[in-house]
Amino acid sequence: MSEHHVDNTGSKFGMWLFLYSELMLFGGLFVLYAAYYYQYTTFFISGGKQLDLFLGTMNTVILLLSSFTVACSIEAMRKNSKKLVLLLLGLTVFFGILFLCNKYIEWNHKFQHGIYPGSAYMEQSAKGLVIFFGLYFTMTGLHALHLLIGLIVIGVCFFLCWSDRINAKDFITLDNSGLYWHLIDVIWIFLFPLFYLIL
Amino acid sequence: MSEEPSFYQTPSSNRLKGIWAWLLTTDHKRIGIMYLLVIMLWFSIGIVLGILIRTNLMFVNPKLMEAQTYNALFTLHGVIMIFLFIIPAIPSIFGNFLLPIQIGADDVFFPKLNLLSWYLYIAGGILAIVSLFLKGIPDTGWTFYVPFSINTQTGVTLSVFAVFILGISSMITGLNFITTIHRMRKDDMGWMQLPLFTWSIYATSWVQLLATPIVGVTLLVVIFERLFGVGLFDPSKGGDPLLYQHLFWMYSHPAVYIMILPAMGIISEIFPVFARKSIFGYKAIVASSMAIAIVGSLVWAHHMFVSGMSDVAVLVFSLLTFLVAIPSAIKVFNWVSTLYKGSIYVAPPLLFALCFVFLFCVGGFTGLIQGAAGPNVHIHDTHFIVGHFHFVMFGGTGFAFLAGLHFWWPKFFGRMYNFKAAYTGTILLTVGFIMHYMPMFILGLKGMPRRYYTYLPELQPMNFFAGIGAYIMVGGLVVVLINLLASFRRKESVPADPWGGTTLEWYVPSPPPLKNFVHEPVVNSYPYDFPKKFHEMKSSGNSANKGV
Amino acid sequence: MGNAVKYVDDAFIYIIVFSLFLLVVITATMVYFVIKYRASKHPEPSDIRTNWKIELIWTVIPTIIALGMFYIGWQSYIGLRTVPPDAIEIDVTGMQYAWVFRYPNNKESESVLIVPQGKPIKLNITSLDVLHSLFIPAFRIKMDAIKNMKTYTWFYADKIGNYTIFCTEYCGVGHADMTGMLRIVTESEYSEWLNKK
Repeated sequence: MSEHHVDNTGSKFGMWLFLYSELMLFGGLFVLYAAYYYQYTTFFISGGKQLDLFLGTMNTVILLLSSFTVACSIEAMRKNSKKLVLLLLGLTVFFGILFLCNKYIEWNHKFQHGIYPGSAYMEQSAKGLVIFFGLYFTMTGLHALHLLIGLIVIGVCFFLCWSDRINAKDFITLDNSGLYWHLIDVIWIFLFPLFYLIL
Repeated sequence: MSEEPSFYQTPSSNRLKGIWAWLLTTDHKRIGIMYLLVIMLWFSIGIVLGILIRTNLMFVNPKLMEAQTYNALFTLHGVIMIFLFIIPAIPSIFGNFLLPIQIGADDVFFPKLNLLSWYLYIAGGILAIVSLFLKGIPDTGWTFYVPFSINTQTGVTLSVFAVFILGISSMITGLNFITTIHRMRKDDMGWMQLPLFTWSIYATSWVQLLATPIVGVTLLVVIFERLFGVGLFDPSKGGDPLLYQHLFWMYSHPAVYIMILPAMGIISEIFPVFARKSIFGYKAIVASSMAIAIVGSLVWAHHMFVSGMSDVAVLVFSLLTFLVAIPSAIKVFNWVSTLYKGSIYVAPPLLFALCFVFLFCVGGFTGLIQGAAGPNVHIHDTHFIVGHFHFVMFGGTGFAFLAGLHFWWPKFFGRMYNFKAAYTGTILLTVGFIMHYMPMFILGLKGMPRRYYTYLPELQPMNFFAGIGAYIMVGGLVVVLINLLASFRRKESVPADPWGGTTLEWYVPSPPPLKNFVHEPVVNSYPYDFPKKFHEMKSSGNSANKGV
Repeated sequence: MGNAVKYVDDAFIYIIVFSLFLLVVITATMVYFVIKYRASKHPEPSDIRTNWKIELIWTVIPTIIALGMFYIGWQSYIGLRTVPPDAIEIDVTGMQYAWVFRYPNNKESESVLIVPQGKPIKLNITSLDVLHSLFIPAFRIKMDAIKNMKTYTWFYADKIGNYTIFCTEYCGVGHADMTGMLRIVTESEYSEWLNKK
């Protein structure tokens, strides 16, 4: 019955549990993907060819870079160099926004071609394509939503570091936020080949 | 025991006054009591809806309600009883209040997150109410099967979202408990010193954590489907409704174990205390809890034997379903054996627990009939199923909930209820229960489908009889609950250990102080060491209070 | 040929008898213990914590019983799924809120299914809108109807008579009224009806 326990291992443990649940959340969608891929393989291949491979690859690189900057910021925090931490977190937020911009361009492009759920164009398309793009918008959309939340979390961390409420002695919040950011990255690493690289 | 003020007198932070001492509390006990309050409210609403449904079914040509009203009522009854009552009831009330005390901790690991869970639960409930008034009462049944749930005009979107929010609340509670059990046990409390209730909450929490997100995302897709028409579950756009069913039951079957496992935990605590004897087969009960959690996650498609899925899948899921029956059977055998050569005192909690064992066995055995592939085809979606899951969920979890309420009531509030009224209520409740749900098995075998507001005239007598049973049952329930409330009018307070229990919650005052423990708790090397307990009680000169 | 129903009923009886027996044994033991070891007669409890032999026995025996139930249930299921080759095929379409039956010569009937006595009947089931489920309790058969998907079930029309058809997958406001009638008639009556305009 310690008066006020500080148990960083426990906080991290809790964070990992949360990440498992997030994986299960996307896991449900991956199950759907697998089942429909099996049913509509050819449509998935032709659908994948309609996606912008360049933008997709860019986004992959951007997210990998942002994961790197987050990891570095934690290391910098350990070494107690506040300026570097702020710079690296700022970079992470920048990369995150860049990713969302690319996503916007990509989706907007699709919308202009009439490719969006429930559009007149999709109504006439083959069912396999409807499903492919349905999955595409659902999964990348949910991922983008997670990234948006991640951005807010990292942004909050930025201000907490600024005001020294996250410091070299107590940076478990930053540590856990970093873990969440990595999760977002990992999910994208799965989404990218499933949508852009199907042969 | 010392004169330390109870947690009712001490807010978790001194700045909190009046109602805010409750609404902003991080004290696990206050949060538990707040859950109790709201959950009982929902439970009462669910009962009223249920009795309306059964009243309607007492007559063939019902004057009481139209088909649409009936459909809305059974949907609401299902959604409320499942998502707002049974799933949160035991973990959120008893888990919150008792789990930290049972492991010698002063709170859960994430107290603020715990409060957030409560608010999400409230938000889910409010959303569910709002959904009723915006676009008409949902009429899909609690399963939200596609494509009907996509096509119907009623306010399904919002109620599905409400369930999603409730899911997050339940998931966070699970996350919190797992972390608490891992990180906040007393140093000398190993895994084999954990009380069985804590063990059952532990197994449950894993299911809550890992299964809930699946239904979460499935319901999200249903929402997308309704808002944007993405087509993933809509057969006219190439979607496959069977996949919805798979994903839905991948959560919702394990959810059945979220409901029953903590109930089994409560029963495992009550039997030894009132037999004044160690639980029989502690390790077997622990192992069976974990086995149920794991195997129970692999049997979801036994809800789908006639859904058009492949025969091979039927074979596999039927086999797994029979295997998941084994750990439940082991628990029942262990409970009954605990009574052997005990020194049994049938206090109200034990009476509830004994009724639980009988009713749960009926529910379990009728489950076997449904697990068998051939018979399942006949009884699927008939009243047989309705009877079965009410035996398991109400006769099982509901009775265990009431048993736990009577068992820990003195601990929660420091007041003891009247025993005679409790016995009367329990017997009325059980007799009414059997009269109400037993006929459903026969109705089901005769082919009366569920979710029908009317039926063939020749089934009228039995439906009428079941309706009478329902009224007796609700009467018993009212007696039981009013009796509990009447305990507040009593003046005499209850000692720390009115029953003679061995787990840590019986070593703290009733009700406990803010930090739970007055003295540093001592962990027994075996959590159900009754000879040691008798020795303690003899040396301190007080024997277990036998109530009034 | 009409054995599918019998197999299912046998499985029912087998499981119910075993279950009832176990239920009675468990309940009787429990009540007996409560009375025999009540505190007033038995004030000193023993301290028995476990006995691995008993645990093993009551793990193994229920497993065997359960596997037996699984086997007999599965056998009866096979009977429900194995359609005899000479079956008459009838297409069934579920819609909100009616059943439409289409016979081999493309004649259609709504809500009434007419079949000849002494023949196995295969029903190919689909749906126009939401999920439905075709349920004929007398023949222990039930199968969901799903849009854009074909499912099937079959039964052996052994006795002349009228049997109720239900929809058992909740499908909306008219769900309870989506009932129909199976009429088993003599072979000649059937062909006369089938060939009538």
